[in-house]
Amino acid sequence: MAEPVIKRDNSEAAKSTEQTTEKSTLKGTFVSVMILGGFLLLSWLLVFMLFLSRQ
Amino acid sequence: MNVHIHKLEKIWLTFGIAMLIVFLVVLGVATFSMGMAPPSHSHAIDPEQIENTPPFDEPGLKQVGENEYEAVMIAYTFGYKPNDLTVPVGATVHFKVTSPDVVHGFAIPNTNVNMMIVPGEVNHITYTFDEAGEYLVLCNEYCGGGHEFMRTVITVQ
Repeated sequence: MAEPVIKRDNSEAAKSTEQTTEKSTLKGTFVSVMILGGFLLLSWLLVFMLFLSRQ
Repeated sequence: MNVHIHKLEKIWLTFGIAMLIVFLVVLGVATFSMGMAPPSHSHAIDPEQIENTPPFDEPGLKQVGENEYEAVMIAYTFGYKPNDLTVPVGATVHFKVTSPDVVHGFAIPNTNVNMMIVPGEVNHITYTFDEAGEYLVLCNEYCGGGHEFMRTVITVQ
């Protein structure tokens, strides 16, 4: 009898997690990832241009 | 299995992967088709026999083309041989440098010339001196008590 109960609990937990993922907003994460990406791109370009100017 | 990737997640993954590809392609093209490789070369020499091994038996500047020179140099504790080089403006100089004793550096500040001189190896770098002036050459690898006096000047006129 114990097994089916556990199974039911798991599927319910999975369903609620899925729903949270669907509804969750990733705007803040997106902005921070883009800020980090922009920083990497800018610093790479600056260093590469410094290299070219000294070539 | 149903993998769901959020729309914004797709955007930043694409951005990240595209950036990585662009960086690697730019570096690859610059290295292999434009010769912008870092100083590195598999060229061995017996550090105890440098004085008897050509071209290091006669260190100095040799003209190898129109305004193109080969500078054969020895970096030792604590100096460079030959000590003073003079080249014309616009000269392309192919440096060949080795060490008979310990690890030295060979750096010209504000240029891309910066390499390690390891005993047993000959290191190569090419630089075009487009502007007249005095170019300081420094050792930037700690090589002993007189490390800070290890320098020479390349005069471009």
